Amino acid sequence: MYWEQNVETMDRRELERSQLRMINSSLARARQAPFYAQSLAAVSAKGLATLAELAELPFTGKADLRAGFPYGFLAVGREEVVRLHSSSGTTGNPTVVYHTRGDIAEWENLIARCMYSTGVRKADVFQNMMGYGLFTGGIGFHYGAERLGVMTIPIGPGNSRRQIWFLKHLATTVIHILPSYALHLAGYFPELKIDPRRDLKLRIAFIGAEPHSEGIRRKIEEIYGLKAYNSYGLSEMCGPGVAFECLMQNGLHLWEDHFYPEIIDPASGRVLGEGEEGELVLTTLKREAMPLLRYRTGDLTRLLPGPCPCGRTHRRIDRIKGRSDDMLIINGVNLFPIQIEKTLMAIPEIGRNYLIEIRKDDYMDRLEVKVEINEEIFRGTLSQLERLQARVVAELRAELGVTPAVKLVEPASLPVSEGKAKRVYDLRGGGT
Amino acid sequence: MSVQLAVFLENQPGKLESITKALAEAGVNIRGIAMASEGEFGVLKILADDPERAYRVLKEHHYTVSRRTVEIALIEDRPGGLHELLAALSARKINIEDCYGIVLEEGHQAAIVLDVERYPEAEAVLKERGIRLLGDQELSSL
Repeated sequence: MYWEQNVETMDRRELERSQLRMINSSLARARQAPFYAQSLAAVSAKGLATLAELAELPFTGKADLRAGFPYGFLAVGREEVVRLHSSSGTTGNPTVVYHTRGDIAEWENLIARCMYSTGVRKADVFQNMMGYGLFTGGIGFHYGAERLGVMTIPIGPGNSRRQIWFLKHLATTVIHILPSYALHLAGYFPELKIDPRRDLKLRIAFIGAEPHSEGIRRKIEEIYGLKAYNSYGLSEMCGPGVAFECLMQNGLHLWEDHFYPEIIDPASGRVLGEGEEGELVLTTLKREAMPLLRYRTGDLTRLLPGPCPCGRTHRRIDRIKGRSDDMLIINGVNLFPIQIEKTLMAIPEIGRNYLIEIRKDDYMDRLEVKVEINEEIFRGTLSQLERLQARVVAELRAELGVTPAVKLVEPASLPVSEGKAKRVYDLRGGGT
Repeated sequence: MSVQLAVFLENQPGKLESITKALAEAGVNIRGIAMASEGEFGVLKILADDPERAYRVLKEHHYTVSRRTVEIALIEDRPGGLHELLAALSARKINIEDCYGIVLEEGHQAAIVLDVERYPEAEAVLKERGIRLLGDQELSSL
């Protein structure tokens, strides 16, 4: 059940001692990069005496990475770099992350560790439906799966009929897929006359790269008849493999032999205690090409208190609630899109997809939620639909404290991209 | 009893036309049609000469469609014709969820489509009163 038992179940005190050692060597390596040479100039070269002293170092933000484009964060000679990945930057400089051969090897090992912990073994067939290329999702899992020794199908996303053909004819047992694409793909089974639970051999799915609710996970498990595990990562750290669910499916173990986590109040920057919700801040412990110190991920979560029954000692983060920049303010009320998703997915009459639109109407914000109905439950009366609409309005109002307009739409009528799903359209224009 | 198809539709230009197109191309004859709308969405009710085929065609076109059991009662096309039928049901406190009429032959015969909550009992009541009910076969041959 463990890929590296001695690491995964390491005594906490021992783990923390090694973290302090690694933070200090990370600090020393980081000083080789132009950005940190400057920002750490005033910090003593002796290094930290305790982990708590980390809180005295400055944060690194996404804006710093952009400003440091292209080589401001590179801490090794360019001849040591074997690859770069880049996040989807639509405005300004992209954020570029460099890897040495050693970085790549460590990343592969982390993915193998994640996959192994959920039960993937060499005899499995792994269909990787995540995008390949600059995006880290596809390539990261690809090499991790090869490291584990599982047969890997590098199919990438899209071309849904071909995906299903492979699933069936190669008897794929493990997939890696965006949660929104998993739901979209399910829409093809009826016309292909395939019952995924009966006709496919799937047993494990890795879902990640976009925030999703527990309800979406359960829906995917139900449709495909498998276990779905939440995967968390970001290209700035390496990509997927930063934190991963174990068989307990209760929080994601953040691999503390590679990353040191802090949770901060996004407004004040103050470090919060265990269990308190805030922004995840990560410090790389092993990265060579591009060490990052106190990097603000923008992702909102908390550290779950208490040990995990699986025996791993690395602390768990809660599923990502959203990004600090995802928060919507509707007539002064703060809410996160994931709250809407969570509410919708608890209503069985609701289908797989939804869309959120916010408009300015006569100086008031107007929240509109378009939801696809679940065709299985449609009994053919208008009164059923009216009751459903009223129920969705009432449950969203109870969760959000804002009354939305709810529009029922036909299944599969909302646009689905084969990349990350865009579900929130803020049409208010200008500042909010 | 007969089978009526109910289709969930968003209220948008071209939606209805896309359904009639799919059915026409599949050679399905529509014997009766009615729409219940809430404004932004509605339910289109279709009586087809071959309901199973129509159901399959609509499913293949990804419509949200459901089959409902209805009673189609033949009544005379004259004042009081419908009233007698409804009186029989109301005397037994059978609630009607939905109904609409089709004139089959002006001045002679009309059909009324009834979606009732307790249809086996409703069917018995109507038969008791000597009201003729159409099955799918008869509907397609009218």
